[in-house]
Amino acid sequence: MSAKALILSGYGLNCEEETLFAFEHVGLTGSIRHINDLIDNPKELDEIQILVVPGGFSYGDDTGSGNAFAQKMRLSLWDSLREFVSRDTLTLGICNGCQILTNLGLAPALDDNYGERIVAVTHNLTARYQCRWVDLKVGASNSPWLNGIDTMHIPVAHGEGRFMMDGQTMDAIKDQIALTYTKPDQSPANNEFPFNPNGSMNDIAGITDQSGRVLALMPHPERGMFTWQRDDYDHLKDKTQREGAQLPEESDGMALFKNAAEYFEVAKRKTA
Amino acid sequence: MPRIEILSHEDDGRARQIEQALKAKGKAASVRVVDVYTSENPKAQSAEFIGSLTNPVTQKSDQMPDDFDWALEIGYLPGVTDNVGHTASELLELAGAQNDNECYSARLYLIKGKLSKTDIESLAGELSNKLIQRASIKSHDDFTKDGGMDVVVPKVSLDNKGAVADDIDLNVSDEELKIIGTQGIEDADGTRRGPLGMSLLYMHAVKDYFAKEGRPAKDIELETLAQTWSEHCKHTIFASPIDDVKDGIFKHYIRRATADIRKKRGKDDICVSVFSDDSGGIIFDDKYLITHKVETHNSPSALDPFGGSITGIVGVNRDCIAFGMGAKPVINIYGFCLADPRTKPEYYRDKAMTNSILSPETIMNGVVRGVEVGGNCSGIPTPQGFVYFDDRFVGKPLVFVGTVGLIPREINDKPSHEKGTRPGDKILMVGGRVGRDGIHGATFSSVVLDENSPATAVQIGDPITQKKLSDVIIKEIRDQGLYTAMTDNGAGGLSSSVGELAEGSGGLHIELDKVPLKYPGMAPWEIWISESQERMSIAVPPENTDKMIKLFAARGVEATVVGEFTNTGRAHATWHGETVMDMDMDFLHGGLPETPLKTTYTQGGETEPDLPEPKDYGQTLKDMLSRPNICSKEFISTQYDHNVQGSAVLGPLQGPGRVYADASVTKPLLDNPRGVALSQGLAPRYSDIDTGAMASAALDMAVRNTVAAGADFHHIAILDNFCWCSSDEPERLGQLKRAAEAIYDLSVLFETPFISGKDSMFNDFKGYDADGKEVKISVPPTLLVSSIGVIPDVEQSISLAPKAPGDLIYILSETKDELGASEYYDMNGTLGQNVPQIDGARNLELYKLYSQAARQNLIASALSINLGGLGVALAKKAIAGQMGMNIDLSGFDLRADKLLFSESLGRILVTVTPANQKEFEKHFGHSAQQIGQITDSNKLNINNILEVYIKALEEAYKAPLKDY
Repeated sequence: MSAKALILSGYGLNCEEETLFAFEHVGLTGSIRHINDLIDNPKELDEIQILVVPGGFSYGDDTGSGNAFAQKMRLSLWDSLREFVSRDTLTLGICNGCQILTNLGLAPALDDNYGERIVAVTHNLTARYQCRWVDLKVGASNSPWLNGIDTMHIPVAHGEGRFMMDGQTMDAIKDQIALTYTKPDQSPANNEFPFNPNGSMNDIAGITDQSGRVLALMPHPERGMFTWQRDDYDHLKDKTQREGAQLPEESDGMALFKNAAEYFEVAKRKTA
Repeated sequence: MPRIEILSHEDDGRARQIEQALKAKGKAASVRVVDVYTSENPKAQSAEFIGSLTNPVTQKSDQMPDDFDWALEIGYLPGVTDNVGHTASELLELAGAQNDNECYSARLYLIKGKLSKTDIESLAGELSNKLIQRASIKSHDDFTKDGGMDVVVPKVSLDNKGAVADDIDLNVSDEELKIIGTQGIEDADGTRRGPLGMSLLYMHAVKDYFAKEGRPAKDIELETLAQTWSEHCKHTIFASPIDDVKDGIFKHYIRRATADIRKKRGKDDICVSVFSDDSGGIIFDDKYLITHKVETHNSPSALDPFGGSITGIVGVNRDCIAFGMGAKPVINIYGFCLADPRTKPEYYRDKAMTNSILSPETIMNGVVRGVEVGGNCSGIPTPQGFVYFDDRFVGKPLVFVGTVGLIPREINDKPSHEKGTRPGDKILMVGGRVGRDGIHGATFSSVVLDENSPATAVQIGDPITQKKLSDVIIKEIRDQGLYTAMTDNGAGGLSSSVGELAEGSGGLHIELDKVPLKYPGMAPWEIWISESQERMSIAVPPENTDKMIKLFAARGVEATVVGEFTNTGRAHATWHGETVMDMDMDFLHGGLPETPLKTTYTQGGETEPDLPEPKDYGQTLKDMLSRPNICSKEFISTQYDHNVQGSAVLGPLQGPGRVYADASVTKPLLDNPRGVALSQGLAPRYSDIDTGAMASAALDMAVRNTVAAGADFHHIAILDNFCWCSSDEPERLGQLKRAAEAIYDLSVLFETPFISGKDSMFNDFKGYDADGKEVKISVPPTLLVSSIGVIPDVEQSISLAPKAPGDLIYILSETKDELGASEYYDMNGTLGQNVPQIDGARNLELYKLYSQAARQNLIASALSINLGGLGVALAKKAIAGQMGMNIDLSGFDLRADKLLFSESLGRILVTVTPANQKEFEKHFGHSAQQIGQITDSNKLNINNILEVYIKALEEAYKAPLKDY
């Protein structure tokens, strides 16, 4: 039986359908669950292996992006969530989901202190929503989500994507940095706009918990999983047409979802 | 009373932006942001609630800095939608508050710097709108003396207990009838309730009707008739006989065009639902329909640009959700007609010159942000739109918003676009509650803006409430077959939506005391016509109502049965059991007297100017690229989420040089190669010479842009939005008729059917200029044509950016001496006479050829030649591709400036790989003329005319609006 992914919806989350499509595309079973239904039946977390909080605008970003949704989850689901991440499971938060996971303290969760809120993902330095493609480099994290990935070209779309934390936390999470923004030549963005689109400290675009199984990232892999979704699709398409070549169907973002499938394949083989 | 202050960290992006704005005015200051919440519930003081509002990493709830000179707080006025406050209320409920958990939000800025009170007041003016917000200012001393800011709880309390419906005596003089029609019903205290927008002719019809009924009219009945008969709802100008056209403009030109095309196309007809629903629908493929609707929200946007535009976008989203059984919104588009934001014209609404219009910059920022918040929060991509500038939009901007939807062709084995209420169906109101917001919106938007324009007509959308509502309907309830019809609560509120649905069953009975309210004390007429947002009315068979209400409740959406559809032929309302409205449905919908219209028409324009030839063509081209109508609007595109739903193929900024595109391609289904191409066309200034030419140009541009991006020419539909002015003047009506004739002819020739449309007929501003002199500023008569086309496979989409050095550059179709009302003439302060003329037959042939070539991938890049002509198109392509060009125009016998800047219609600039040259030239024959080649240099070179670095072109193109 293949691993099951549960993608949350409700209260303004809005990327659940394309995110589900990604998981199904790599061969996993998935379903969309409204947060109220999960609250009514938290036992469902015992039956799944992957929990995803997708992108969106939960509660309209009011009182801080991801804040109100995280409060709702904390008050009604905390014990089940804590139990879920302690098992050999994967958790993913994309964009609004990333803001929710950090507000919940599921990442970075230093010393297994799940629930401690020590990283903020706050207003872009431009105080403007930014929808644009970015270049990313995988950081020191050992996350299974990022296995074998070096760089990614996928989009961001957010008004509050700026990672902030105190110096001590920054030192402590060095090995939990999942992704950083770079220039197109893969040199660090060095907080230069638009390469780092939000002013994030140390160009951070995503972090993990210490196990690497919980990943919170601001960019959207599900919007960059197929070649036709890319901002340079028109060029790539033209180039391959001239060369009489075949355009690859998949693009960078898909690798992340494939890793999730791979993780459970591998795990299954180990137990067998 | 609890007041919670949450201080944000020093480096808050929101504070930084204000500091920068002040710096731009030469004022150095540092700003701290404090989020403020107030509530009457004591539970709001709990640590738990305060903690839930505070991010411990970046915010503090227990300390306020003392190091500031000014405190400026901005909060909402009572009754104004406060989305942040609403979320805080939900958090308060999570923290254990049982009831009365209402919270209100405000934002406090602590400002340090050498600023005067006037500086702070001017900043307050930029950060707030006094129609909907309060701004409180305290000096540091006052702040300390008072122990902080005052606690403000903007709760609505209406002194209106025991509200009933009043009898209105219509047996009065014509003078009094006129006053009731224009200023509204008189209250006991002598004030008027606001415009009914009813002419004396209408008032007489109403008077006669109630004489026949043998009783006085109730206020709610008069208000209902005013809403239903308003220009906004009944489109009386488009419906009235005009000259010898007895069936009126809409039926004779617009609807007839579609009918003629459908007949001609026979089994190849792409239309499924036209002009009968909240959106128009065409075939997408075997399994799906796509829908489109474009709305305007002009009058509200003049007063509250943010509120006007967000209400517009979420409103048109509902027009999509309400299509048939419910279409899923998959694309938003926008369009703004504005005055140049870099100008500061001085106009007032009142003679005393105290009530100033909003500045063009304030209006632009507000309308841009409204679509941003509305679209982004709803998870609908906004890949494309336009901005058009003309000083005449200063008093009344045009705000266009559109939504494309997707719906299976069949749901539960029934055609999904068919709906109809049945007698006995319950009226279910779902979504937001009803308040006083938006009362008289429909009548207000049908009149000229002046100082009496009601502030209550302004509303703010709540996209999250609507998103919850939309998700339940589209993703959970729709496919269960629980309802028979639904429609959006927009203009006119319940009176309009329920009235419309009741036409299906033949009557309605509504119990107004059952309608959930935001606050007590509203009168029945207010409840019935309020335009409070985020609501739908659904017709539900009685056996399904409980199930529906439960399904909505599980998703945090309120749904309430408020009445029943009947077949009594009456519109009947009760208020706590007592009848307050009882009118004949036929009279309500068909009782308005016909007003035959007469027109005159005079061709505009001046003689063609004799301009000196530019000495430096490179500079002239750069000047053209910097014109507001031509320069980049990238700052809008990056603020709009254009790739949510993962469906963007060709986005708003194309090529490595990121050129602002006028067409987009979207793949609404991830597992289906088909694409939707969208564009718009408009040319308001052409109306100064000929509104027929203006209208043809708009239609040709809209269709050509979509074709150029790769749409199948035989699979394109269009929408019309007429934004006219002074539509009570015969000359303006003559211009209108001429425009309608022109688009009838062209659409029938192209076989591109109209599927939906909307008109806004009084876009005039009446007020006073800087000298106190009375002025009337009318927008140029504007027709927006929006196009929606299908691409069989997105691999056949064509972007505007050139792909490789060595590629050949062709211009398709002819360039003529047609610079009348062009950007080039306008830059030279002249209008001219030779406005571009449409050659429909030639364009038809070309678009067919082009569409075939697109199927064969013969074209590497394409850009429609629109405003600014060939010169601008060449520059945009060079910028987009970041590649040079070698151009030779010696084969044309027009003077270089006319050749470069003529706006002749029908033209497309394309690049072709040499490998396809033979086939391409054979395919297009004489329609294509090779004019040069893409190079790997960094210059645009046009032999003997100009040579300019691409960097310099790019700077000219991108600099003008980059700081917005």
